[in-house]
Amino acid sequence: MPVPPQTKQVSEVIWEIPVSYKQGMNVPARIYATKKLLEGMDQGVIEQVTNVASLPGIQRYSYAMADAHWGYGFPIGGVAAFDPEKGVISPGGIGFDINCGMRLIRTNLRLKEVKPKVKELIDLLFQLVPTGVGVKGFVKVNQPGFEEVMRWGVKWCSENGYGWDEDAKMVEEGGFIKGADPAKVSRQASSRGIQQLGTLGSGNHYLEIQVVDPSRFFDAKMGKNFGLVHDDQVVIMIHCGSRGFGHQIGSDYLRIFDGAMKRYGIEVRDRELACAPFSSNEGQDYYGAMACAANMAFANRQVIVHRVREAFQKVFHRDPEALDMHIIYDVCHNIAKVEKHALDGATRELVVHRKGATRSFGPGHPDIPAPYRQIGQPVIIGGSMETGSYLLLGTAKAMADTFGSTAHGSGRTMSRTAARRDVNGEALQKSMEKRGIYVKAATYDGLAEEAGIAYKDISEVVETMHTAGISLKVAALRPIGNIKG
Amino acid sequence: MKRPAYRFLPDIALADVAFAAKADSPGGLFEACAKALTEVMVDRRSVRPVVEKRLKMKTSDIDGLLYDFLTQLIVLKDVDSLLFKSFEVHVSRDGRSLVCDMKGDTIDRENHRLRNDVKAVTMHMFGVKHEGGVWRATVVLDI
Repeated sequence: MPVPPQTKQVSEVIWEIPVSYKQGMNVPARIYATKKLLEGMDQGVIEQVTNVASLPGIQRYSYAMADAHWGYGFPIGGVAAFDPEKGVISPGGIGFDINCGMRLIRTNLRLKEVKPKVKELIDLLFQLVPTGVGVKGFVKVNQPGFEEVMRWGVKWCSENGYGWDEDAKMVEEGGFIKGADPAKVSRQASSRGIQQLGTLGSGNHYLEIQVVDPSRFFDAKMGKNFGLVHDDQVVIMIHCGSRGFGHQIGSDYLRIFDGAMKRYGIEVRDRELACAPFSSNEGQDYYGAMACAANMAFANRQVIVHRVREAFQKVFHRDPEALDMHIIYDVCHNIAKVEKHALDGATRELVVHRKGATRSFGPGHPDIPAPYRQIGQPVIIGGSMETGSYLLLGTAKAMADTFGSTAHGSGRTMSRTAARRDVNGEALQKSMEKRGIYVKAATYDGLAEEAGIAYKDISEVVETMHTAGISLKVAALRPIGNIKG
Repeated sequence: MKRPAYRFLPDIALADVAFAAKADSPGGLFEACAKALTEVMVDRRSVRPVVEKRLKMKTSDIDGLLYDFLTQLIVLKDVDSLLFKSFEVHVSRDGRSLVCDMKGDTIDRENHRLRNDVKAVTMHMFGVKHEGGVWRATVVLDI
């Protein structure tokens, strides 16, 4: 991508596009990237990050993280904070898959114990966790029960036999976002979501068995705080969101906001940036519905954790507690939340949108669970099924520089259509198995679309955020088994 | 009438799927868009026309009508497990309502060549245009 000539290099990995770049920008745009990553970003990133900079009430900067790529409305990898009185909330700044996120569970198993049983585990998980088009989950709830899921997220799961009492504490926001209002959710959204608890979906969603990469266990001392005590310890990563429920809430409110903007005198450069003042009726209604979807997503990942524990118990004939299958952490990467941040010499409440971006709160923040409060929040960065993922740590610098935010994954460089054209899914599956990654997918097309070559180099993305100081490397996690939608 | 047509746009919204459709009537355009959306979810050739369904929809403008129509097809996939092979769409003269007769099947994981679970229709680049006698639309789907 040709970088706009006005772009100023702020540091080795920070680039700034001034407000003079485009009429209507209220704040500059900041892109976190190495020169190589910046030049490799598609034109959509520049257009979208500067479009976001033009939204009313945006504070300080419109951000694109190192994994940024062309999304809809906001770029994927976008972060923007808005004044709650003068600013807006935008479904396009959150994504349709509300509270799509990552969850990491540890085990006390080591590679040599799991490797011989990976196929058995993956085949069983593929049965227990439905993936792909139009699948239904195993949890049956009626409408009042589903409304409890919307209100209480992980807490509902633990109370109904799908988790341990401690689980909610190790999830962002304690497993449920306050302010969820089922009355603001359409009947159609409920009907799409009520049968989908415990399903993975498709696209880039996955459930993966990983091992701490001994050669890239960057901070073993810090790893111990997360229960990672061996350099070939096995963990499980889950990537999914609020399924059709959140998707429909996004669709419903996009239509409402598209019509409401005229009333509020708001003009946007892309209809997908449709928004409403956060303090308006429409803004508050959306926030109440969005929180329902966020809580459903927390519950969805929780029900999948329950299935994962069942699968490990069956294969290893040991209780999940004896296998130390505790949640390390769970992060949202498609969300808007009201958070307190230092701005212009004061602490202010802001509506922070993270779309394909992860919270990265530093040491001492009260929202971090007690076991991690003094060290910082675990940050889970999900990579492609071929190249692996990372566990990082939130920092005080992220609090100061990016409203406590960092990247969320590796970011695509190739479209799905192009990946399907260039990669044979069946051949990829065989090749991965030879390289020690047993993958089971709902379709070969879906597998081809998620090939490692379709993504940026995750290590360069992570290194960029590490160099910027907004999340620090703890461990690289190498895949050994994967199920995909 | 010329055949309604669509083509996928591989260089737009990398993580998602974009397509452009055209036809010489609004109904034809809606049909092309419905087929493109369905092709993202399943190889339509593998879907049998054994379930018939009629959709009636009404809204304020033709853009909104197309958005709601495509969204409804995604809803039918999630709620009733239905995917469709054929669509016959009649859009009213004012572009604010439609009747669509569809034939398809309930999702059959053994016999349908399933693809991606489309999440939603986005409004990024979205819109219906009527230029030089041709109806066109661009649609980006969230995957």
